[in-house]
Amino acid sequence: MTRIPLSLIINGQTHEVLAEPHRTLLDVLRTDLGLIGTKENCLEAECGVCTVLLEGAAVNACILLAAQCQGRAILTIEGLAAPGQLHPLQQAFIDHGAVQCGYCIPGMILAAKAYLDENPEPDENGVREALAGNLCRCTGYQRIIEATLSAARALRASPSSACRETAR
Amino acid sequence: MTFDYHEPTSLREAIELGARFGVDGRFLAGGTDLMVQIHRGRLNPRHVVSLQCVPGLDAIEVDGAISLGARVTHRRIETTTDFQGALRALVEGAEVVGGHQVRNVATVGGNIVNASPAADVVVVLLALEARLTSLGPAGERTIALDGFGTAPGVTVLRPNELLTRASFPRLAPRTATAFLKAGRRRAMEISIACVAARLTLDAALERCQDVRIALGAVAPTAMRARSAERYLEGRPLTDEVTREAGRIAATECRPIGDVRASARYRALLVATLVPRVLARCLERIRFHTS
Repeated sequence: MTRIPLSLIINGQTHEVLAEPHRTLLDVLRTDLGLIGTKENCLEAECGVCTVLLEGAAVNACILLAAQCQGRAILTIEGLAAPGQLHPLQQAFIDHGAVQCGYCIPGMILAAKAYLDENPEPDENGVREALAGNLCRCTGYQRIIEATLSAARALRASPSSACRETAR
Repeated sequence: MTFDYHEPTSLREAIELGARFGVDGRFLAGGTDLMVQIHRGRLNPRHVVSLQCVPGLDAIEVDGAISLGARVTHRRIETTTDFQGALRALVEGAEVVGGHQVRNVATVGGNIVNASPAADVVVVLLALEARLTSLGPAGERTIALDGFGTAPGVTVLRPNELLTRASFPRLAPRTATAFLKAGRRRAMEISIACVAARLTLDAALERCQDVRIALGAVAPTAMRARSAERYLEGRPLTDEVTREAGRIAATECRPIGDVRASARYRALLVATLVPRVLARCLERIRFHTS
């Protein structure tokens, strides 16, 4: 089977991988690069647990070929904050008890980040709509919404607290 | 499941690859359908030809006729300023598809060639009388969107052709559009039924001068409600008249019953949504011309 050499810019770092052309970004992230913060579930772009940011936009890594990401900037949950630190969204999710089993949270937080990057002053409806592509079977969403709104306030108060800016 | 991946950098190269691979090849745009079908084992292409590096497929043109390149995403439609006014139905159709992750990548062209009877944006384009442009080894041809889909998932596009854009005429004065969809919940939902309309009023803003009504998810393909359109022409748009148009549309649609809704419920939705969509158009025309 032919493998193609790919250069993926993940969390600001360039990774060279050899991957079969049919493999998804999700698979390469988890299997080849050990970045298992991006979760795998429906594989049909329904549940959002595999959400990553591709050039700043939230996308489902389960239906994106790794080959399509050649040379493009990808942000995963591992790169959201500097090592040992928390992004205001992560801190807010903890503070608001927005996490139960946790499986949906990496995707949820990245979808929220993409939305807050474009909408720094969101209202509740906006946040609900922005997170519609991320399913959570534990929390009932309310605390996730509250945490996201609270993170938006924290980010407005101190924009530099977002430790690392995504390449767009 | 495995395939070879190709990334042409010009339309010409994309067409050559498409022609060479024929039924063994598939064009890849947003992948929100193709990749799912491949994962499910329903499609097994030997060659996947990504369109992401082909220039010229993602343009939106609004001078004269309006044209949407095949690779224009739902997100782009939502955020296009020119569609916030009389062409609002395009935004309304695009913003109810999937979540942000899907709309960031899912394209107009994919939506059309996919030929799902429930494709929301396609229903809007049908009400706008869109024409499609395809390119193949023999050159370009134009195909009316009405009749492009022949059954769920089946179109008249030839295997060696690439859909390049959808275009439709500029709206006449005193015209507005609207789109409404019914689903079991508000997000991430496939339409149980959806309706789009393009309405033009007479100079007195009372009678219907011209109307197009398109229905989704109530027939094997998106369809025009032609009897309802004929009934409305020249009539004053009273509540009674628009309700009757809804009843007529409900009799001309051909819904199935499935896991989402019974056939009878779908027809009832058409009868309800048609007058509501017309009322929205009316409101919009009066608002913009007053």
